[in-house]
Formats: sequence, structure tokens, C-alpha cells
Amino acid sequence: MTIRALWIISQEKGDNVSIRFSRRFSTVEHRAKILAGSSYVAVPEESTILQLLLTELGLSDPDKAYVAVRDDCLHRPRSPALELRVDGPEKGILWPMLVISQGPLILACLPLVDVPPEPRPPLASLLSVSQGLTLLAGLQIFLLGSGSKPDGEGLVSRLAMLPSVLLQVCPLGTPLDVPLLGPPATPTVPTVTGNQKQPAWKTGLHRGRAVVNVALTETVRSMQYGSRSRQDLWDVFGTVSCKCEVEGVLPNVMVTLSLPPNGSPLQDILVHPCVTSLDSSILTASSVDNCDSSAFSGPYKFPFSPPLEPFRLCSYTSQVPVPPILGSYQLREEENQLHVSVTLKLHESVKNSFEYCEARLPFFNRDQMSVVDVKVSYGQLDTSKEKNLLVWALGQKFPKSHEVTMEGKISFSGPTNGPSDPLCTGLTAYIKLYFKVPDMTLSGCSVDQHSVQVYSSAKPRIVTSRELISKDYFIWNSTGAAPVSSGPMMV
Amino acid sequence: MATNWAERISAFSRSPTRFLSGTTAEAFLAELLRELRDDRASYSVKVLLLSPLCEHPTLLCPSDSVGEETTLELMSVFAQCPPKFVGFRCHLLLALTSVLICTSCASGRSRASQDFLDLLLQIIQDPSDLHSDGSLRSLCATACDCLRELEACCPGLLSQRIELLGGLRQQETSRLHQPYAALQTLVLRNAVFQLTQEKGAGAEHLKALLGGITSVAWEADQDSGLMNNKDSAVLSSLILGNMGVVPTLQTGPDCKELRSVLSSLLEESYLLTPLCQAALLHRLTEVVAMVPSIPPAIFRAQLLRLLGTSEVCLLHSTLLMKCAYTDSLFSAEDEAFILKRLVVLSQHPRLTAPEKLFYMDCILHFPENRPIDSGDESLPVLLTPQLASALAPTVLNDSATLLSRFNLLSLVHLEEGEEAEEGQGLEYLYEHLTSLLHIVENGGSREIVVTFFRAVFLFLFYFHHVERYSTGLTEQLCKLYLHHTHLAPHLINLADQTQDKLSESNWAVGLLTALQKAITSLTQLSVKDVKWHLKMLARVAEEGEIPQRNTLSFLSKVITPSFSSLCESGDWRQGNNVLGVCRRLLVHPSLDSLLIPLADILQHLARCYRDTDIQDHARLYYTLLTTLSREKLAGVMMQGTTEGGRQVKKRSLSSCMSEGEELTSLLTIHQTEKAIFRLTEAQSEPRQQSKDVDLDQDEAENCPEEANAALEVYRAQFSDPSFASEVTLKYQLAHTNGHDSRFDHLFSIRLHFGHTDNHYEKLPDISVSCLFRERPSPVVQLRLKPRQPYPTTLHATAIFTTQDGLSWHTAVPDIHIAFEQTFMPLPSPRTWGQDGKLSAFEGLWEEMCTEKGESAISLFCCQLEEAALNALVRKHFLSYLVSDPSQKEELKVLFFLPPQCHILLKIRSKEDAVHFNIATDNWQLLPHIGSYLLTITAAQEDPPS
Repeated sequence: MTIRALWIISQEKGDNVSIRFSRRFSTVEHRAKILAGSSYVAVPEESTILQLLLTELGLSDPDKAYVAVRDDCLHRPRSPALELRVDGPEKGILWPMLVISQGPLILACLPLVDVPPEPRPPLASLLSVSQGLTLLAGLQIFLLGSGSKPDGEGLVSRLAMLPSVLLQVCPLGTPLDVPLLGPPATPTVPTVTGNQKQPAWKTGLHRGRAVVNVALTETVRSMQYGSRSRQDLWDVFGTVSCKCEVEGVLPNVMVTLSLPPNGSPLQDILVHPCVTSLDSSILTASSVDNCDSSAFSGPYKFPFSPPLEPFRLCSYTSQVPVPPILGSYQLREEENQLHVSVTLKLHESVKNSFEYCEARLPFFNRDQMSVVDVKVSYGQLDTSKEKNLLVWALGQKFPKSHEVTMEGKISFSGPTNGPSDPLCTGLTAYIKLYFKVPDMTLSGCSVDQHSVQVYSSAKPRIVTSRELISKDYFIWNSTGAAPVSSGPMMV
Repeated sequence: MATNWAERISAFSRSPTRFLSGTTAEAFLAELLRELRDDRASYSVKVLLLSPLCEHPTLLCPSDSVGEETTLELMSVFAQCPPKFVGFRCHLLLALTSVLICTSCASGRSRASQDFLDLLLQIIQDPSDLHSDGSLRSLCATACDCLRELEACCPGLLSQRIELLGGLRQQETSRLHQPYAALQTLVLRNAVFQLTQEKGAGAEHLKALLGGITSVAWEADQDSGLMNNKDSAVLSSLILGNMGVVPTLQTGPDCKELRSVLSSLLEESYLLTPLCQAALLHRLTEVVAMVPSIPPAIFRAQLLRLLGTSEVCLLHSTLLMKCAYTDSLFSAEDEAFILKRLVVLSQHPRLTAPEKLFYMDCILHFPENRPIDSGDESLPVLLTPQLASALAPTVLNDSATLLSRFNLLSLVHLEEGEEAEEGQGLEYLYEHLTSLLHIVENGGSREIVVTFFRAVFLFLFYFHHVERYSTGLTEQLCKLYLHHTHLAPHLINLADQTQDKLSESNWAVGLLTALQKAITSLTQLSVKDVKWHLKMLARVAEEGEIPQRNTLSFLSKVITPSFSSLCESGDWRQGNNVLGVCRRLLVHPSLDSLLIPLADILQHLARCYRDTDIQDHARLYYTLLTTLSREKLAGVMMQGTTEGGRQVKKRSLSSCMSEGEELTSLLTIHQTEKAIFRLTEAQSEPRQQSKDVDLDQDEAENCPEEANAALEVYRAQFSDPSFASEVTLKYQLAHTNGHDSRFDHLFSIRLHFGHTDNHYEKLPDISVSCLFRERPSPVVQLRLKPRQPYPTTLHATAIFTTQDGLSWHTAVPDIHIAFEQTFMPLPSPRTWGQDGKLSAFEGLWEEMCTEKGESAISLFCCQLEEAALNALVRKHFLSYLVSDPSQKEELKVLFFLPPQCHILLKIRSKEDAVHFNIATDNWQLLPHIGSYLLTITAAQEDPPS
């Protein structure tokens, strides 16, 4: 349940790759030597580790099309636990090297194998693997913030904080916690409130007005093909985020999610570890099961004792009968022109009040657009600066008919440049929709302000909100081949 | 100064060996400790200084005694550090823990480790700390972590303190209860394990353990410790599923004490961070598994909370619980639920990609209640195709996810496929490959190309027998190749691997035949494509069952000027590509029928190709083809390929023109497996700086009497930088013991030396004309030019030729240069006699006694009889003696060490001991002098029998 070493690598545009931080846990290494016996492989020095990792991740020799050790079809890197083949006098295989990467950072750690090393044990028998993943993910968020935007200076200052952060979260190779995001909470005065214990995940105590904020966000994804042979797909998942400022060492709060009378049950529910207890009925509905209409459909009660920082109380998926916007997209190639025809239809159950709604039509791997002779029935049409993308802004509302259309011709000439995307070539093309609808959910799920209960002396202020946003919402050209297998499978 | 340290420490952690080659571990450790004791150094720098000790304690403390001393030093630093520097004190505790554990001082229960243990126990119990501010609490938390690490590495260390630790945990209301709980759980687990190993241990012992009463029964065994049997079992996790057997402790039904400890830990587990909670649950799972009278149901109250969690490590600890207890905690219904949950988690949109991949791996190694077999990757029985369909790969997945899902679905449909080959799932997988292929066709990135070929391999691996798909795939790949010839290396690799791994299938030959057909029926060629076509055809020509007529007509087409300008261009690489195909055809089984066209092609190349090298090779092949019999030809051409076959191609430049050819093995330098010869120090007379300094008695005494003047004359000699700058060592070059008759006679040996540190200038290569096993060994002279005259180790390699004309490269065993091998007599002017040297000695002595700059004096004492001392002087000091050997009361010895260091000894016999007064102008030599004197005097103490 420990890790032998930890590395943080930054890569800028593939070229400048370097180890920015590393830490070896010598006492764990000492145990590794005893546990592995004759199959022990020492952790090589930094430069070797870097080279081996890049090869395994397929990032070495970026300018060569084929490198045997990197690209052999027999070899399947078993992410997230890679094996590094160490050469030289200390020959052997380092396994399981956990690696996660995001943006400019690659984080890696090598968990201790605390079961007999031969034959190779399954990953699932090593608790250190999931612990290592949790630690790496925590460090990643600490270094990059929740977005993945590389922020040079911020990164440098956070890297400089790592030694003291590791002293708290992983002093001797045993991960204890993930780094705190904000500044460390001011040390609290020891409480004299009897013998109630302060949770280890709570860094301090709140003093002042009690406020509970519960925000429900649903995300909808879709793949629409407009074809008989292919079933359109869509799915919805929701997240309940909370920020609770409540007094007390271990205050009790209860949030209740409820569905409309005929709503389909929430599925695949995952809860934050601060939830104190769960009713078994909450966990029964699952998206991989045959849907059972008689299944439990709420109200979903989540009793918990909140940490100080904002957290994700629970998440779920839901099966809704129709997608919020149904589209059709047709392209016809004629001479040097492309005939475009698009219809988007808002489903009547969806509130016609958007924060934004935009359709993007990329035309990659082609010459630049020269003449765009396209009419839209509603909204505003723009061409991107690079002349390979149409942006159709629909604004805050669909018209009364709930339907908008685009019709016209585009011709292409001029130098080819801009992005090339193998998913968007010739008639293999798509529209991607971006929208956000405040104060609604597709599943109908809601958190009533009055259903939030806080068991404490002061009466808290309670704020609830909900919204729907789109992600990966594709409408494929129905006259071309969508690069997706047909068949009865899910998104 | 601060930046300097930051740089040095980061250089050390980047590459400790390279860093230490510029200094010694001993010196670096001394520097670190000095700086740590220095009051002027800031504490942020001091924290930095501790990191080498934390990360590489064994490099800096190579022996237990150094570890012990370092520990004592660090403990005194700790004692003197003001309490407000909490961060530094915490890091100091970590460094101490690392040093003690890694040097095995802790497992040996050394004095210092006992002191440290007491210190830690005192910190965690200190009542003053409980009411002070939170920052001091972090010292206490770190101390707990250190104790936990000590217990983890020396199991049983704290088994007598379980009650104490439990008490501390229960009283604690601040967040400190977490480190206490973690410590208590581990100690409990190790103690119970220890009991399972004791014969006859039972409920009484367990009770005593928990109550803190040390029962006499196993008190006696305490010191032996658990680790002394060098068995790693106690360090291993006990949860191994159906492979492992958990040692058990028979206690009878009554286990009240243990049960109450467990309940209390479990009840409060919710208050721990998920990471600590998972570790705690895992340890308790082990404890309950070892004590059969505690029912696993003790965990039941936690299960729902754990199964619903979004935290990967908490769910994982639940899976491990399932693995440990199977149906004694989880019903068949629970099992189905958990599996479904895993499928959900493997594709849950709210989880990260690595987490999902981990869960997918858990499905492949699902701990079933009733496992059927324990193969490497086997699917749980309950995973139906319908359930698995949620994990179907899509083109929007990242590569790792895509391949994992592809593999999993293949496994699912492999079972289904046997019943119904027309299965929808298989259809889906094939279509998925087609979608990927379209993306590759449309110019997918390198990553997608590699992913595609891996997916194709997986598909073939599982379904090569389903002809409908495997033939379709061949066709599609051929089409793909013609549009994207640069994919040739991928296709060749795919053919190689499928042939290798799917020996029962002929798919690879089918693919290669189809590719040959596609290539040879092309009517138009671009130069760029020809390169790939030739590579492809070379691979095709390796297959004996594929007829090569078409390949030959393609070759003759390619070299026809009207068709392509290949011959005109005289491109060496392209020429080699053509020759590569020809060479394989020369050994093709159907050569007889290819003879005439192949000869034509070779002749044409020999005449018309505008590159002499290619012409030469073509001519050679032509001659071989037309003059040798089939058998001989095959024999000549196969030489060299026989060793490894296709799979291990030598990646040398010469191989790019004609691998496997006999010529190559002559051109290539081979590597010996073992060392063939070694260098051993030649027994020689005491070293002289040069022969002509032989005592010129007549001209002697022509030197200044006065010490300073003598020194001046002496030092003037060094204006010539090459003066006395080298030490010449003689070595014998001799065969090692291994007997390989190929290497009995070696010629043109060239020795190449490499340094392991920076203390010496680079050595030139040395040539030796020959080395015969039966003849006397030749002597070689190593001319070492020290920068610092420290002991060192030289790496050596050699290139030589054997009688059969092959060239070899071999490693020579390392050469260790001892400190005393760098000693030379004083390089005084040749006109000087004994008195001059004595004056110089006095002058140097006086200077060194001021201890200015690098100078230092020291004293070494030992007990030696007079006779022993005399023998010692005769044996070791004679050629360095400056004083009159007959003057026994004080002997003066001077060692000169290039480039310009001196070690002066005044040896006197006192009543109790012999005193060696040492003076040197380079204090860094002192440790080496010490160990040298220790070695030679120790050898003298026990007289030879």
C-alpha cells in the first residue's frame, strides 16, 4: 500500500521533455528488495526512467513514423499500469508503473508489489495501485488546477511547494491524503465540544452564518446519424455539487433529489465519501441492466457531513426518451460546390430559454472556403478566421416553430491550411452543438430548497440551482459514412 | 550559497552516481552534516540537505556503522533545533527513519535506533503537545508515520505497545486520530500475524497482546523479531484470492477484546481520508482473515457506503474484501451486483480514464465466489455479452481505452462465437476495425495508426479462424497499403507477429501473397513508393510457399530505364533494397525456376546501376548464383542468419545493405559473452620515478642545507607541468579461466579504459600485438595521471581479432587502483642526496603543521612490537624513507602523490604504542591514509603463521 517513487514530467509541444520533480522512498525500496527477492529490479536514474516512459507512452522519437520498440503491434501498453523494460546490467521489468497525463504534465509513480511477484499478480490484487492513482490524480489537480490549462508560473510555484505538500500527504511513500487545493486552512483552536472527533478530511471548522449551496448540472451527449441503419444515441449524466458552510465538528446535512411522477429512475449513482449512509434501493438502478420501470424512483436521500471545501456530493446517469435537439445534416458534393442542408428541432419538453446555443460546422482537410452562399432561417451565421468552420449562433431562443434551418452552397478554393482531422474528411462531416439551458434538467431531477435539511442550531441560508449543458453533441452528415460502427452499442 | 546547494542537491538526485564520481560519498555526507549543524544556514536550505539522506541513504551510509554515526549526528541536530522549525524537524525525522531502516540498524535494534524509537514514542505521547497549536501536531503526525514505517519494515517492533496506541487513538479528538489509527492497525496486524507463526498461541496470547500484558510465553522470542528468518511473508499482503493460504490463529469462539478493537476502528473509519480508510480496511481484512472466530460480517455495516463510493481506492478495498471472504460475506446476488457496478464504473462519464481502465482490469480479474479456473485473464461467468456491450469500443475513445475495450469484448465474443459465428458482437468488432481503418485512410495520426494495427492483431489473435472476417481484413489491408505505402513497416510487423504468435494460422502468408499480387500488378510507380514496395517484397520473398515469379518480373520492370529511373539515379539505399530482395530469392526454395530471370537482374544491376558498391554486390551475388551448387549457396547465404533468425536483426549500418551475408559477419564486431582476459597487477620492485635517478653518490650533497631553500629548489621543478605527474603501474594481461579454444590465440588487442570518477585524466588506449594462452603474459604499463590521488576503479574494454579473422569486442574485469599504488618517492632533483631530501621533509613538515589552506596533521597509534615495526618499515616504507634507517627513535617517511600532494610520517615508538604522526598538504587524503595505515598495521599485528 505504498509507492516506491514518484515523478512529475513536463512536456512542451513534444520536444522539451524533462523531469520536473522526483521523489524516491528509500524505506519502501528497502521493502521492495526483500519482497521481490531475486526478481528485484532497482529503480533506474532519472534519464533512463524518462526515456523508458516516453517509449512506452509512444512519445519517443516523435519524428519517426515507425520505431519497432515503440510501435510493435504485439505490444499493448496496459495503461494505467505500464511496464518498463530496463536494459543494461540491472536488467528487468519495472511494473506496475502508473501513469496519468493531462495537458503539459505526465505524472508517474511506481507502487510496491506486496504479493509474490511471480507469476505476475493481477493489478486488482494490489491496493497500492488504486491508491497511487488517487494520489496522482490529486497531485495533478493540485499542479494544474481543475482546468488543464498550462500556466507556467503557477506550475513552477506549485512544483516548489511539493516537498512540503508531500510531507503532509505522502511522507514515507504511503499516500495519506490528496493535496489541499486552497491555502491551508488556518489551524483551528482545539475544540472543547466534548468528545466528538474531527474528521481527518476536514481541515478546520466553519465559524459564522450557515450557507448551503447545492447545484445540479446535467450534461447531455449525443450521436445522431439521420440514418435508418443506425440508431441515434444520446445519454445524460448529472452531478450534484455542494458547498456547505455549517458550524460544528461533524454537522449533519441531508440533500434529497426528487423526480417528477413519471420520471425514469436515476442510475449508476456514485457518492462522495462524506455520505454517511446509503439506502440499498438507491444503488439498484443501473444503465447496464434491463430497465425496470417498477424500480425505485426516489426520493433519493443523501445524509452527509460536509467537508469545508466545495465537493461533488453525487453523480448519476439517466435515460431520457428523446434528445433535446434533434438535427439532420445533409451534404451533397456537386462540381466544386458543397450543398448544405441542416435542420435543427428543439424538443417541446425543453425549456426554450438558453444561456447560449451554437452550432459549429467544420470543413477540415479541404481548401479554404471561398464563397459561402448559405441562408439560415434564424440566428446568425459567421465564418471562422481560418475559413474552415461555419459558426451558427442561435442565441437565447428557438423561434416559435421550435425549428431552424440552414440551406445553401459553399465553394472551396485557396490554400489548404488549418486543422486536419481524420474524423472530418470529405462527406464524413459533422455538426457539433454547444448549448446551455439554465434552470432545467432533462431527467426532471431537482433539489427542492426545502428538502435540504441541516441539523444545527442556526437556521442556514439554502441556495439551489440546476442547469443543462451539452458535451460531444454530434450530428453526422447522413450522406457520408460516419466513422462509427453501426450496431446496437452505446455511445 | 543557497543556490549552490539547491543546484548540487538537484544534481545529486538527477544522477547520484555521476554526482558522486566528482567527490566521494564520505566527503559529501560529511559536508551535508557539517552544513546541517551550521547555525548560519537557513532552515529552508537544511530541509533540502536532508533529501539525499531520505532518498539515497544507502549510497551515503554504505555500512551500518556509518548509518549509526549519521543517526547520532542527526539526533543531536534534532535536539538542538528550536521547536518552531516544525517543517525541518519533521523532515529530520523522515531522514532518520530512512537511514535507520535502509542501513538495517533498525532491524538490528542498534543503540541509535532504540534511542530514536524512544524519541518518537515520547513525541507521540507528549501531553504538552496536545494542547499546543496545530503546527506542533504535525510533528506528532510525522512521528506516527515514522513509527508506522519502522513497524512496516521491522514487523513486530511495536507489538508490545498496542494498548498504548489504542488508548492514544481513542482519546484524540483532533485530526491526529488518523495517524494513530493507521499505526495501531498495522501493529495489530503484524502482532496477530506473529501469533499465527507461534506454535500453540491462542486466545490467551491474543488477549494478553491487546491488554498490553506481556505473557512470558513469547516474550522470549521477542528479540528474534519476525524479520530475522529473512522471510518476506510478513511483509506481503495476505489477500491473494484462491492462490494464497492465510495463516490462521485458533482462538475459540471468545474473542471479545479483538472484536471490540475492530468495531471501534471500523466505526470511526468514516472519519479517515479515503486513502487511509482503504489502507485500514485492507489491514483489518487481513486480521479478520487470520482469526477465523471473528466473522467477516463485522464489515457488513460499511459495505453499502463503500459500494456506492466514487473513490477508486475505497471500492478497491471492498473488492479485496470480496477476494478474501468470498461467499462468507458476499452472496451470489451481491456478486452479480458488484460485477454490474464494475461495468458501470468502467464507463462512467464522471470518472477519469485511468480509473475506468483500472476497473476494466478488475473485471478481467474479478474475484468470483466460485472461480472455475485461475487463468491469466478470464472473464467472470456472469459477464454476459449483453452486459459487456456497455463497454464496446468507439472511435472517440483514447487509444488505451479503445484497446482495452476491444480486448475485453473480443474475450466476451470468443465464447459466444463458438456457438454462433454470425454473432452480432463479432460483427460489431469487425465494423469497428473498419471504422478505424477509414480514419487511418483519411490520414489519422501516428497514434491512431499504431492503435489500429494493435486492434487488428487482437482481432486476428482471437478470430483468425473466422474466415469471413480474416479474408475481408486481408483485402482491406491491401487496399490501405496501396494508398499509404509508408505503412509497410507496420504491415511487415503485423505479418511477423501473426506468423509468430498464431502458428496454426496461415493468415500472414495470405496477406503477404495478396500484397505481392497488389504490388506486382501496379502499372505506375513513384520513386517514394518503390522503396516500400521493395521492402515489402523482400519480406514476401522470405516465405518459401509464395511463388516469386511476379516479384522477379516486378524487379526487372523496376530496373528497366523506360519504367523507372532507379538505375540511373544510383541511389545506394534503393540499390540495397533491390539487392535485399535478390538475396532472399537466392535462398528461396523455388530458386531453380527463378535462376535465369534472377541472373539477368543481377547482371543488369552489375552493369548498369550507377553505384559501384551496388554493382560489386550484384556481381558477387551473380557469381555465387551461377557458380555454386544450391546447397553451397544456401550455406553461404544462411550463415549469420542461423543464430537468431528474422526476429533479431542486427541494427547496424552495415546490416542495411545485406544482413546475414557472410561478409557482414566479417565486417561486424561481435560481442563476447564473458570476459576473455583480465589485467592483474604485476609483482614488481618498488616504484621509481625514473631509472636515471639512481643514487648518484658522487654528485650527492650538492644541495642547500637550509630547509626553505631546499623546498624552493624542489618546487621549481614543478614549473614543468608534466614533471612527476604520472604514476606508472604494471599489469599483466592474461586469459581468464574460462576455456574457449576460439580465444586461445588473440591478435591486435586494443585496450580502452574508462573512469568511474573524475579523479584521473583520461587514459590513452593501449595496444598489445598478441596474447597466446600457452605463452607468458605480456606486461602493459598504465600511465595514470591523477587530478586527485584517490583510490579508483577503471572500466576496461578491448577489441581484438581471433585466428579466424573475426573481430570481437569484450569487457575486461574492472581494475581497482588502491591508494598506496599512487605513492612515489620524493621526486627530488637528481643531484640531491639523502640530506637534501631530509631538508625538504623538514621544510614541508613545518609548513603543514601550520594547517593553513588544505594542510592538516593527524595522529595514528597502534601497538606493534619492535620487530613487527621493523618488518613493516622494510616491507612498506623502505623506498620512501627519508631519514637514516639506522636511526630507530624517529623514522621519517615521505610519500609523494602526483600531481603534487605529500604525505609525511614521523614514526616513533612510545612505551605504550607506536605513534604515526601524519602531516599532509591535502586534508582530503586523511581518511585514505587512515585506512591504509590500519590495513598494513593490522596485517603486521597477526604474524604470519
